[in-house]
Amino acid sequence: MQRRDFFKKGTTAAIAAGVIPLVASSCASTQDVVYDRKLDKWYHLGTGKTGMPSRKKTIGYDVAVIGGGAAGICAAVAAARNGSKTVLVQDRPVLGGNASSEMRVHLNGVNQLNNGEAERETGIIEEMLLHNRFENEQESFPIFDHVLYDFVVREPNLTLMLNTQAVDAEMKGDIIKSALCWQATTEILYTINAHIFIDCSGDGLLAATSGAEYRTGREGKAEFNETYAPDEPDGWQMGATLLMSSKDMGRPIKYSPPSYVIKYTHEGASLKRKFAGYHEGIWWIEVGSEGDIIADFEVNRHKLMGYLHGVWDYIKNSGKFPEAENLALDWVGSLPGRRESRRFIGDYIVSEKDMTEYKQFEDAIAFGGWSLDEHNPGGIENISEPPSYFHHHFDEVYQFPFRALYSKNVSNLMFAGRNVSQTHIALSSSRIMATCALMGQAVGTAATICNKKNILPREVAQKHINELQEQIMRDDVFIPKRPANDPNDLARKANLIFGSTTLSGDAKNLTNGISRDIDGAINHWQSDGLSAELQLEWELPIALSSVEIKCDTNVKRNIMMRKDSRNDDLYGNAIPPEMLKSLSLEGRVNGVWQNIGDIKENRTRLIKFKFDSMNVTAIRVKMTETYGAEHVKLFEIRCYA
Amino acid sequence: MLSKLNIVIILTFPFWIFFQSGSDVSNNYDIKIQHTFYVNHPGEKEPMEVVLIEIQNKDSLPIQYYMDVKSVICLEQVCKVIPVRIFWNNIGEYQNYKLKEGATLEKYEADLFESEDYVKLQSILSNKNSPFKEVKLDEVLTVVDETDFEDVDAVSGATALELNENDTVAGAALTCYTLWHWANGNMVALIKKNTTETVSNEQLLDFLNEKNKDYYLLALNELTKRKVYGEDFTNAVLNRVFKDANLLRASFKYIETAPKSIYFSVVKNIFERGGQEQKIAAIKSLHASPFEISKAYLDLFCVQIPNLKSFQEVMVFLELMQSRNANSTKVIDCTIPLLDANFLIARRTYWFLINENLDTLQQQKVEAFYIKNKDKL
Ligand SMILES: Cc1cc2nc3c(=O)[nH]c(=O)nc-3n(C[C@H](O)[C@H](O)[C@H](O)COP(=O)(O)OP(=O)(O)OC[C@H]3O[C@@H](n4cnc5c(N)ncnc54)[C@H](O)[C@@H]3O)c2cc1C
Repeated sequence: MQRRDFFKKGTTAAIAAGVIPLVASSCASTQDVVYDRKLDKWYHLGTGKTGMPSRKKTIGYDVAVIGGGAAGICAAVAAARNGSKTVLVQDRPVLGGNASSEMRVHLNGVNQLNNGEAERETGIIEEMLLHNRFENEQESFPIFDHVLYDFVVREPNLTLMLNTQAVDAEMKGDIIKSALCWQATTEILYTINAHIFIDCSGDGLLAATSGAEYRTGREGKAEFNETYAPDEPDGWQMGATLLMSSKDMGRPIKYSPPSYVIKYTHEGASLKRKFAGYHEGIWWIEVGSEGDIIADFEVNRHKLMGYLHGVWDYIKNSGKFPEAENLALDWVGSLPGRRESRRFIGDYIVSEKDMTEYKQFEDAIAFGGWSLDEHNPGGIENISEPPSYFHHHFDEVYQFPFRALYSKNVSNLMFAGRNVSQTHIALSSSRIMATCALMGQAVGTAATICNKKNILPREVAQKHINELQEQIMRDDVFIPKRPANDPNDLARKANLIFGSTTLSGDAKNLTNGISRDIDGAINHWQSDGLSAELQLEWELPIALSSVEIKCDTNVKRNIMMRKDSRNDDLYGNAIPPEMLKSLSLEGRVNGVWQNIGDIKENRTRLIKFKFDSMNVTAIRVKMTETYGAEHVKLFEIRCYA
Repeated sequence: MLSKLNIVIILTFPFWIFFQSGSDVSNNYDIKIQHTFYVNHPGEKEPMEVVLIEIQNKDSLPIQYYMDVKSVICLEQVCKVIPVRIFWNNIGEYQNYKLKEGATLEKYEADLFESEDYVKLQSILSNKNSPFKEVKLDEVLTVVDETDFEDVDAVSGATALELNENDTVAGAALTCYTLWHWANGNMVALIKKNTTETVSNEQLLDFLNEKNKDYYLLALNELTKRKVYGEDFTNAVLNRVFKDANLLRASFKYIETAPKSIYFSVVKNIFERGGQEQKIAAIKSLHASPFEISKAYLDLFCVQIPNLKSFQEVMVFLELMQSRNANSTKVIDCTIPLLDANFLIARRTYWFLINENLDTLQQQKVEAFYIKNKDKL
C-alpha cells in the first residue's frame, strides 16, 4: 500500500483500519477525530481560552527503528552508538517484545548445541542481559521491562517513543520518506522523517505499507530443496501463545474456569505434549492461522484465553495433577506472543540448507543455532501431533547473511527479527530472540554506515560489507569463521604482547581476531591468579586514544532472562564469576608509566578506555579482581589512535 | 561436623561386586578405622550419621576409604533402596562403587538398571563437575518420569531439569543425584582432612612426588602448616616446579613461608636453574618479599643476565634491581651490554640506566644510544 495524501483528500477505509482502532471512538470518522480538529471545543479553565490542541508533529532522524523487541532495541542502540540520531518507536508501554512482562517468553539464544554447550551471543544483547543480572537479581519480568527501559533511555543519541505505532509509510519512489506514527497516549500523529527505516516489529506493518515484497506461509519442498518443508506450499503460520504462571499457596486452592473457557481433555494428545514445568506456562497453548494471521489476531486471542483456562482447568480439576492442588494462577498473559507472520524479501532468502550445511556467507553478520523447532500445523487445535518438530539440532553455529536484512524493492528499508528474508523452516530456528538481536545490531550499524556515506543498504552489502563486519566485531559481535582484521587496530602492530603469568592460552591470541574459544581452538589468554598484567610493546611510539578489551563472561553458559532461574553448568542465574571487575590502564611515556584510567565495577564483556590522545611505547593493563573467578581470562585487546 | 573415631579390626566381610574396574585393597590389609560423622547431604534436611571406613597399610598410611550408603534418598518410602558402597582414594577422589552380590539398582517405575547404566553411573560419579553439582532436589523430583529431554520453546523447559543424555541415567536421576553427592560432596573434605592429619612428614614427601597434582598441592598446604622445610622437601618442590610452571604459584606460597635462609637459597636455585617462567616467578617473589635482601645476594644474579632470553625476564630483573639494588656497580656493569641487545630489551635497559649513577664511559654509551634511537623512545 502506497501512502496517499489523506490529510487533503480525506480518509479511506484502509487508513482507517490502521489508525482508528487506537482512537476508541465509535461514531466519528478518522479524519474528524484525529486530524481535523475544527470540531474540537476545548475550553481551558486555567487560561480561559478556547482553542484546538495541537496534535500533529513532524520530527526527523537519521534512523527510525520500528518495534522495541530484542531486535529493535539492538538495532536502535547500535545505530545511536555508532553516531546516528535515532528514534525507536514501540507500540506497547514496555520494551522487550515477546520477552516483555506482557508476554514473558524466555529470551533464549544458542542455548545448547549438540556438544551440550551454549554458544552465547555477545555484543549489545549480552550487555543487556548482563545489565539485567546486576539490576534484576530477582529475575522479575516487570523489572526486566525497566532494565530495558534504562538500557535504551540512557543512550544519548537515542529517542524512545513508547505507546507509538507506525501505521503507514509515505513513499517517494522506492524510498520511504516518512513513517506515520500514532501515539495513543497523547493523541498525536507523528510524521517521522528519516534516511533509513528499520522494521523490527515482527508483523512489519510499516514495511508492508511501503510496498516491500513479503510472503507468509510455508514454502513447498521444491523451492529451496528443504527436507523439512511440506511437499506443497501452503498458508500455515506458527501460532501465537498466551503464557501464565502459578504459585504454591501452601494450602488447597480451588479453581473454576471463566465463561469463555474452551474445554481441554488431552484425549488423543501426542505423548510429546508434556506438562512438565507447567507452573511457568505451557508454550503449546498455541493458535496459528492458514490465512491472514494478523487479521485473525483478535479472534485467536480470544480463543487462546479460552484454551489457557481450559488447560489450567484440566491441570487443576482432572485429578491427574495432584501436586497442583495448592497452585493458583498468579499471572496470566492477555496479549499473545507471536511467532510468525510476514517475512519480507531481501536480496537473499535464507533457507534450511544454509543452516544445516553451515553455508559460509561473504556477508555473514550474525549467527544462530537454536534447533529447527517448527511447531505443528494447527497448534493446540491439532493435539495428536507433537507440539513441535525439533527437526534438526546443530553441531555448531550457522551464519546469517546481511543480504537477508534489507528489502529487495524498497531501497532504504532494512529489517531484523522474525520478519526477515527467510523461509518458514529457516524461521523455525532463527526466530529465537538473541539471534534476532544479532541481526538488529548488524542493521543498526549498517544504517550508520549508510548515513555516513550517504548510501543505501544494498550498497553496504555490495561495497562495504567488510567495514560492517569489522565494526560489529569491534562492538563485540561474533561472526563464526570470520576473524576480525581491523587495519586500524594498533594492538596488531605491537612488537610484543605478554601476560605476567599464563595458566592457559597465550597473550598472542588476544590479537588473532577470534574473540572466543571455538572450533576446538583456544583463543584466550588466562592468568595464573590475580592480580595479573598484560603488556604490549611497540618499537616506535604510537598515538593512542582508546583501548578496548574483551574479557571472559563464559559464553558457554547461558545468562538468559527466564522464569525458572536455572543455575547449573549450562545456565547461570547470577553475574558470571569469570567477568573482570576491576582493572586499570597505564601507558608508558618517555620510559615512565602513567595511569590512564581505572575501572572499579566493570559490568560488560567489552571494556573500553577512552582518553585524550597520548604517545606511548607500551601499555599495561592491570587486572585485580573478577566477579569470583580465581584467574582472569581475556579474549581480545585492541588499541586505536 | 561431629566425628567419632574407632579403630576396629574387621574380620568378616560380605562379598561385594565391583561394577567397574578398580582395585579393592580392602581385604588385603587388616587395619580398618571406623569414623562416624554427621554430614549434610543436599537431599536431606537434617545432617545424617555416616560411618566412614579408613583403610591403612602397614606403614599406617591411609590408602583408601569407603562408606555404605543408600542408593536413593527416599522421601515417601516407596522406592527400593539398595545399599551401595562408595570408594575413595586417600585424598577423597571418588574411585568406584560396589553393590552386594545379586543386588541391582532400580530406575523409576521398577525398571532395572541395564549393564550399560552401571557403566554410565560410574562415569557420572567420576565427573567432579557433573550437572548434579548444581541441580536442586526438587528439580530432580519433577522429572523422574521424563525420559526424553527435548529442546523447548518458551517457558522452558518443558522439563524442569534438562540434562544431556550423557549426564544422567534416564529414569534414575534421583539415584545419580543421591550417589553423586555422596561421592563428591562433603565427604571429600573430611577424607582429605583425615588423611593430611594422619600422614607422617615422610609420607608427605611421597605426596610431593606423586604424579597427581592434587597430592602435591595437599602436601604443600600441610607442610606449610607444619612448617617443614627440610632439604628433601625443598628439593622435591624444585623438581616439580622445573617440570611444571603451573605449579609455581602454589609452590611459591609455600617457599615464601620458609625461614629466610632457606627462602633465599631456594629462590636463587629456581632463578638459576629454571626456564623463563621460573626465572620471572623467582624475581617477582623477591620483588615483593618482606625480607631485607642483601646487595651481595642480588649482585650474584648478574651472572645470569646473558641467560635472560626474553624481554619479560629482563624487564622484571631490571624492576627488581631498580627497587631493591639501585646503583649497584656490578649490576650496571652487566646491564650495559644489553644496550646492544634487541631493541625492546635495549630500550628497557636504557630507561633503567638513566636512573643509575653511571661513570663517564657508561654515560657516553647511554648517550650514544639516545642519539641513535631518540625517535623510538
Ligand atoms: C510463546 C512463545 C514462545 C517462544 N519461545 C521462545 C523462546 O523460548 N526463546 C526465544 O528467544 N524466542 C522464543 N519465541 C520466539 C520469539 O519470541 C520471537 O520470534 C521474537 O520475539 C521475535 O523478535 P522480534 O524482535 O522480531 O519481535 P518482537 O519480540 O515481537 O518485538 C517486536 C515489537 O514491535 C512492536 N510492534 C509491532 N508492530 C509495531 C508497529 N507497527 N509500530 C511500533 N511497534 C510495533 C511489538 O509490540 C513488539 O514489542 C517464542 C515465541 C512465542 C510466542
